[in-house]
Amino acid sequence: MRKSIFIIFVLVFASACKEKVAVPKEWVLSKTIQLDGVNPIGLTQVNGSIWLSDGDHNRLVKIDEEGEITETIDSLDRPMHIDAIKETIFIPEYGKDAIETVDKKGRFVMQVSDSLDAPAGVSVYKNERAIADFYNNRVLYFDGANWISFGKEGKAEGEFYYPTDVQITKDKIWVADAYNNRVQAFDKKGAFLQMMGQDQKMNAATGIFVSENEVFVTDFENNRVLVFDMSGVLLQILKDQIEKPTDMMIKDDMLYIINYRNGKLNLFDKRPIAGKE
Amino acid sequence: MKKSIIVSVLLMVIVVFSAVAQEGKDKFMVQVDGLGCPFCAYGLEKKFKEFKGIKNVKIDIETGDFSFSYPAEKGLTLTDVEKQVEKAGYTPITAKVERANGTVEESSAMTMMKKTEGTITKNVMVAGNCAMCEARITKAAESVKGVSAVSWNKDTKIMNVSFDAGLTSLEKIEKEVAVAGHDTKNHQAHTDDYGDLPACCKYERLNY
Repeated sequence: MRKSIFIIFVLVFASACKEKVAVPKEWVLSKTIQLDGVNPIGLTQVNGSIWLSDGDHNRLVKIDEEGEITETIDSLDRPMHIDAIKETIFIPEYGKDAIETVDKKGRFVMQVSDSLDAPAGVSVYKNERAIADFYNNRVLYFDGANWISFGKEGKAEGEFYYPTDVQITKDKIWVADAYNNRVQAFDKKGAFLQMMGQDQKMNAATGIFVSENEVFVTDFENNRVLVFDMSGVLLQILKDQIEKPTDMMIKDDMLYIINYRNGKLNLFDKRPIAGKE
Repeated sequence: MKKSIIVSVLLMVIVVFSAVAQEGKDKFMVQVDGLGCPFCAYGLEKKFKEFKGIKNVKIDIETGDFSFSYPAEKGLTLTDVEKQVEKAGYTPITAKVERANGTVEESSAMTMMKKTEGTITKNVMVAGNCAMCEARITKAAESVKGVSAVSWNKDTKIMNVSFDAGLTSLEKIEKEVAVAGHDTKNHQAHTDDYGDLPACCKYERLNY
């Protein structure tokens, strides 16, 4: 009797300790929202609400869950890839060569170390800032104390051909090197670290989003979003409802992808790959 | 009654003034190669903001059609417009202006080449790897009549070329370089020409 109790105890304990097998998952389209009169280029979130930059109409719009516009920031000059931290939105104004910030106190122009020529993307991370400086083929990065500039026109490692988006993560600066059709990552001194997507025949890699485990890139002309792991291995190609995609973000475990041309907001969630559950 | 007459007169004055204002504008229409995304379209728009007084800017990304109006008294030429398109990083294919006085001027890729513009200098990306590539690229560019100086940097992949715009064009030079086996920003080398390159010169092909 004591022996059988012991065996049952061991079996229960063993099953409890059994390591869970990770089920392979992929991104699957779950919902498409048609926006009315918006041609989105960038998106971000503030207090759970989604903001879109509407470059064609020189404005930012806040939308609700159905895609209805609930708030507008007007009189911008071609706002591009936006970002936000806490309640402040950072807006690169491509036509004005400036980064504007908007919060409850009002609208301000961010001080930058050098003149810009068509800022196409901005990223904020804690007290760090980065700007994709399109026509100057460089990235400006502020580490909280000083600005540095890195990159120049070219195809080699560390060089750009019209960078359009940038994202700062804990230890890297990621750049959508749009017309070199690739993504590049740098350390926070501006030294080249890695490159990805250069072998995927992309045509205008205009937008980038980096999550904890994945790198998302918009392949604008080919109507695709490519998903890589952090080392650059291609994991998935998203095409469903994707048409001239410009930017992405993850909110509440959902992947949001915006289409510039037809003004659609596509929501993807991660599901077990069929047959591999 | 008196009120309605005043309103009518005011409306007529406004119509006449707007017609006069419209008459005072030259309307430019340019077909631009290389526009594909909003970054390109807004970039073109941005570079043309340097022309103070520009109005009614319209850009169609799909067709590459670009139009705007400009004060006639400033005498903006098609050449000025084409140069500005190139400054923005794109290639003008055709250009046309309807002058405020009713005259129409046109230029196309063919007529553009016939103009005498003097020497201009351009930078353009050309794919290649090594010193042998450099020699081949510069030789090909120099073979084009009107080219006075050319250099290519294997690190930046940028070709710097000076030429008489009345005798040739950047497009023609790029085509000649492509015939030598090297992809340029706007012209891809034929597979056979690329295949003829020595092994060390087999650069990574550009995507178009």
